This record gives sequence, structure tokens and C-alpha cells, in this order.
Amino acid sequence: MGGSEERVVAVIMVGGPTKGTRFRPLSLNTPKPLFPLAGQPMVNHPISACKRIPNLAQIYLIGFYEEREFALFVSSISNELRVPVRYLKEDKPHGSAGGLYNFRDQIMEESPSHIFLLNCDVCCSFPLAEMLEAHMSYRGMGTILVIKVSPESANQFGELVADPVTNELLHYTEKPETFVRVSDRINCGVYIFTPDIFTAIQGVSSQRKDRATLRRVSSFEALQPANRSLPSDFVRLDQDILSPLAGKKQFYVYETTDYWEQIKTPGMSLKCSGLYLAQFRRTSPDLLASGDGTKNAAISGNVYIHPSAKVHPTAKIGPNASISANARIGAGVRLVNCIILDDVEIKENAVVIHAIVGWKSSIGRWSRVQASGDHNAKLGVTILGESVTVEDEVVVINSIVLPNKTMNVSVQEEIIL
Amino acid sequence: MKALILVGGFGTRLRPLTLSVPKPLVDFGNKPMILHQIEALKAIGVTEVVLAINYQPEVMMNFLKDFEAKLGIKITCSQETEPLGTAGPLALARDKLIDDSGEPFFVLNSDVISEYPLKDMIEFHKSHGGEASIMVTKVDEPSKYGVVIMEESTGKVERFVEKPKIFVGNKINAGIYLLNPSVLDRIELRPTSIEKEVFPKIAAEKKLYAMVLSGFWMDIGQPKDYITGLRLYLDSLRKQSSPLLASGTNIIGNVLVDETAKIGEGCLIGPDVAIGPGCVVESGVRLSRCTVMRGVRIKKHACVSGSIIGWHSTVGQWARAENMTILGEDVHVGDEVYSNGGVVLPHKEIKSSILKPEIVM
Repeated sequence: MGGSEERVVAVIMVGGPTKGTRFRPLSLNTPKPLFPLAGQPMVNHPISACKRIPNLAQIYLIGFYEEREFALFVSSISNELRVPVRYLKEDKPHGSAGGLYNFRDQIMEESPSHIFLLNCDVCCSFPLAEMLEAHMSYRGMGTILVIKVSPESANQFGELVADPVTNELLHYTEKPETFVRVSDRINCGVYIFTPDIFTAIQGVSSQRKDRATLRRVSSFEALQPANRSLPSDFVRLDQDILSPLAGKKQFYVYETTDYWEQIKTPGMSLKCSGLYLAQFRRTSPDLLASGDGTKNAAISGNVYIHPSAKVHPTAKIGPNASISANARIGAGVRLVNCIILDDVEIKENAVVIHAIVGWKSSIGRWSRVQASGDHNAKLGVTILGESVTVEDEVVVINSIVLPNKTMNVSVQEEIIL
Repeated sequence: MKALILVGGFGTRLRPLTLSVPKPLVDFGNKPMILHQIEALKAIGVTEVVLAINYQPEVMMNFLKDFEAKLGIKITCSQETEPLGTAGPLALARDKLIDDSGEPFFVLNSDVISEYPLKDMIEFHKSHGGEASIMVTKVDEPSKYGVVIMEESTGKVERFVEKPKIFVGNKINAGIYLLNPSVLDRIELRPTSIEKEVFPKIAAEKKLYAMVLSGFWMDIGQPKDYITGLRLYLDSLRKQSSPLLASGTNIIGNVLVDETAKIGEGCLIGPDVAIGPGCVVESGVRLSRCTVMRGVRIKKHACVSGSIIGWHSTVGQWARAENMTILGEDVHVGDEVYSNGGVVLPHKEIKSSILKPEIVM
């Protein structure tokens, strides 16, 4: 095991522009995968985690964004992390498994023995090396990363049952309708496969093609939603591969006890930025800022400050604050649980709590930008889009402000278009 | 003769429509807003139009190339690198506006829709011999705007009063000017307001004259005024007996229907409706006081009033959209859904009713 022939390839699904409107208004200005969490683009976190995989040969990013949106990022991250990263653009939706299959030639180029599949908008510790080891001991077609969640939140996810001894995946259904819930473990959206996954995906495609060409489909069958309009090359990992193959000794689970969240909304991106900052505290504390208010600003808890940002020594920053490139934080400013994006100017004595301040925005003196801090609520984290100006002494609470607006009167619980 | 159209910035008040196209290209009365102005200028012999913009010049220029050829008028962009206010852009475009002829040039505000009596304005300008002419319009609530105080008989402007608290007059600046090239010597290349800095100086020298705009005027930079503006515009088409207005047993009042749009059986359309190119209005639909943009499908038995339906959207069967519902591009309202003032950003599906005005992102 682990010889020089055992090359591993990682595939990260980054999604695309019109698919997710839930990340607005931030996605109006930047592709979600490039939005910074704890000072690094969202997709950097799984990419960095992939570096810990032994014998990693290549990382592919697969998505619907235009190539030029990722060209710069991909070449700089390849250089910076010294790992080959390529972006592959999907021409049309193929489903989560179909996308993998669509690029099988590139993925299999270096004849990898194992293929990781990760979703970019998942926030977790990515225990990939441990997953690989577990997978090799199970000797199945694939291993799924799972996590225990509270019974209440489990209901939003698929039903997943695994054998407690062998860790085999016994049962899997997407968002069941019955009220009795038998399992509290959910699919984290991180998988590892052996190359025979491609055979399984092709099997689903052919089966669907055969059914479609069978003219004697009864009119009732033809109306069933499942059969109605899925093209043969549209294959979903969960419904079309995991569900039917559960219980057939093909798939296994590996459980993580660390944190896990999905980054679907701007509010959640703030929460996940905090989770990654906490992770840095454990694994790379030198990335975090420190200061006691004498020579440098007072830092409380986990804070990231980009080297080019300027923070006045009388400011107090944190916990859970992240300040991006060229931001200027003035005297007496207080920042708590927030993400301050590039080129933002925060003037003297302003207060920002539970908010995301967009690129190039300007926050006036003695103004206050805050929210309740409920990361799941629609207006629980105040979001200011690109180039928003909040004038002196103005208060913006539990609101979302779209790009290029000037706030000259105070607002609460509003969306400013 | 030359003209400058002040296009300005982001058009945030017309979101979500301006999330898809820059404001001057948002359709009004079945053609891009700015085309109304360009056509009026072309009609009185303007040969070159300069657009003063600071946002998305490539999108504007791509679009305008088509119209340059079709209309036979030269269209160029003057791009501000920082917002220059309402006078600064004139200084920036100086070289494009002045030629040896010494003729005056027009300046229009791109948010304004009106009758554009530009020929009358040229006559007025010649007859008073002053340096600048501005169009003013009578409004019901002058305190919302800047009021122009002028001598009734000659039109000579005495002064401007911003948002007056007592009644001083009811004529406001309509955003249409005719200026001698010498006005450009008064404007520095920096953020400057024409109403607050330039015109008051010219008025003090008794060289500024105002002409009262007869006919309709509307600043359509926000949805409520856009809908009112459509009513005024269609009304003026009626007064001119325009052949563009539709007629038929299923049409009430003033209605504009593009020739490529299809309307089904048993519909009742109007008053004050504009239906754009490629639209499909299925049978049994009721439309009133609304704009339906290019490529929209309104399904059977649906009802739309007082609303704007953005490009390529659909309104489902038996659905109802009213009370300032604004759908951005590619928004799909499900069957039987009710929207009371929903403002929906592009590329969304609305599957459940919106009972009170709300923004859907």
C-alpha cells in the first residue's frame, strides 16, 4: 500500500453562476468558490487539504463558470501551494456523478488508483489521508465522509444508515418524507472512489438510454417525474449510484467528529470563516494576528489580518474577524465576528458586529453596522455589497445592501436594492 | 449639430432590471430608454450624440453599434473614471461637443421621458440670444425638486431654489438643455453640479432662459414613476394618433403591442400596457397598467396589473402579479401564485405567494 504506483487525483466541484442564487448579493461580484473565508478563497481550503493526501498527482476543479474567471486563480494557487490544479468547464449539467464521468479521460490520465470527489461549498476539516486509509481497508468502490448531527437538523438531509461494525453503507435515500428518522448521520459531500466508479456511472447511463429507446413505455410510466426528462448522461451521485448500490458491499462510510457545515448563504460563510479561523488556531497559529493594543491593535480570539491591511493601534479586533488586502481600519474601531473585504475603509470609532463588508466599501465615523448574528436567518448577518458607503453616524442593522449604494439614513431589517 | 446625454451610473433605483442591463438600455414603451432620446435628437438634425457614462461602456457600445447604422447618427461614449456630477461630464466631452460651427449643443438627462419639443427649443434659444436655455416643467409637488424662478413673459431665469419649504413656484428643471459652446468655458473638469454651480452663475449674468415644456414629462428612474411614465407616453401617442397603438375588441385604452408578440383568445389588455417583442400572452389573460418585456410568456388565465415583467420571464397559469411587482430577467412565477409587490432578482423561481411587498434575492 502507498507505493509509488498509487497515485491519487482529487476533483472539487465548484458549481456555477446561475445555479446558486442563495449566495447573493456577494455572488453578484465574485464567484462563490473564490469568496474568502479566514482570509483565503473558499476553494483554497479543500485544495490545501488535498495537499495532505499521500501521492497526490493532480487536482481538478470542475464547474460552470467561464474559464477566464478561474484562469488567474488556478495558475497562482498552483504556484503558491506547489500542487498542479486545473479548471475544467462543464458544457451542460450532467449531475454530480455525470460531471465526474464527463471528464474521466482527464481524471484517468495519470492512471490514479483513487479519486477524491469534494464539494467546494462544504466547510470541514477534510480528513482526507485518514479517509484514504480507511477506504483501502474496506476495499469497496467508494467511501463517503459522514458526520453525526442533531436529530432536528438531520431532517434537512438524506437518510443514511451504515453498519456499525463493518462501516458498510446499508441504506441511503435523499430527503425522505416519512417522519420516523432512523439515522442521525449525514453525507458530508466528500467521497473517495476507485476507478470502477466510472463503470457504475456508465451503467446508469446505458440503463437510462435503453429505457428511453423502449417505445413500449406505458403512458403512465412516461408521466412519472423520475423518468420524464433526465437525459441519459445526467447521473446524480446520491440518487442514481449510492441509493441503488447501498447494501451491496460497494460503499462504506468514514465518520468525522470534527466540524461540518454547508456554505450556501453569506450568513453561513461568516460562520464558516470563524470555523476555519479556529482551525488555524489549532494547526497554523502563525497565520493568525496577535496584539495587545500597545504597538498593534488589541486582538481578541481568532483574527486574520492580511499583511497589506492597515489597522490603527487603538482599534480592537475580534473574535472571529477577518480583514482582507489593503483594508484600512481607523482609530477606535471595534470589529466583532465579521469579514472585511479588500480595499474597505472603516473610519474612526465605527463598530461592525456580525457583518460582511464588501470590497471597496466605506464605513463612516461613529457609524454602526451590525446584526443579530443568527447565521441561518435571512437578515441575521448584515451584508454590504461592493462599494457601499455608510455615512458618518448612520446605523445599519439586520440588513442587506446591494452594491454601489450610499446609506445616509439608518435602517433596520431591510434589503436595499 | 451635437448632443450629450448624461447617462451616469449604476441605475440602482431601477433594480432588479438594471442588474441585467445598464439603465439606458432598459426598455420603455418597447424600445430602450435611450433610444427615445436619440430618435428625438436625430429627428431635428443632430448628427452626433455623445453618451456620458461611468458604467459598463462595452455593453452600451455593443448595443449602440446596431443603432448607429440603423438610425444614421454617430454615437460615441465619453467615459468618466470618477463620477463627475451633472456638469463635469460636459467638460470631459468638450472636444466632441465643440466644432468650428459654433452651434449650440443639446444636453439631455437619460432618465427623462418627454415630448422633446426640441425644434421649438432651438427657435426659443435663437430668439432670446442668451447663452443657455433650459426646459422646465410644471409639477404638482415642486418641493421634491429644484424650482426655477423665472420672468413669465421672457423666460429669463432669476434664480434656482432647491426643495423649497414655502411655495415659490411650480416649475422645475426638466433636464433638457440647449447650451452655447461658451458654457463649456465655465465648467472645470471635476465633480460639478450644473444646477448648483453653473446655471446660477449664468442666471446672475441674465443669460439663462427657461422654456415651459408643454406635453408630458417624467423621470422614469424608479419603478413607480416608470409605470406612470408609460401612461403619459402612451397618452401622447394617442394624441398624435400613432399607428403604433393597438386596437381590437380585447384592447382597452392605450396599448402598445410589438408586431412579433402573440395574444390569445379571450384576453383583456389595457389600459396603459406595453407588450414587447416575442411575447406570448396566452388565452384568458388580463393585463393592465403594466410592461411586459421581450420574450415573456404570460400563461392562461393570469392577471398582471401595475407591474413590470422583465425579459424572458414567465407568469404561470392563474397567477396574479400586482401592486408594483417587478420581475427581473428570467424569473418564473409558478401556476396559481400571487405576488403583491414582490421585487424579484434575476434567475429565480417563485413557487409560493408573496403576500406583502418584499424583495426576493
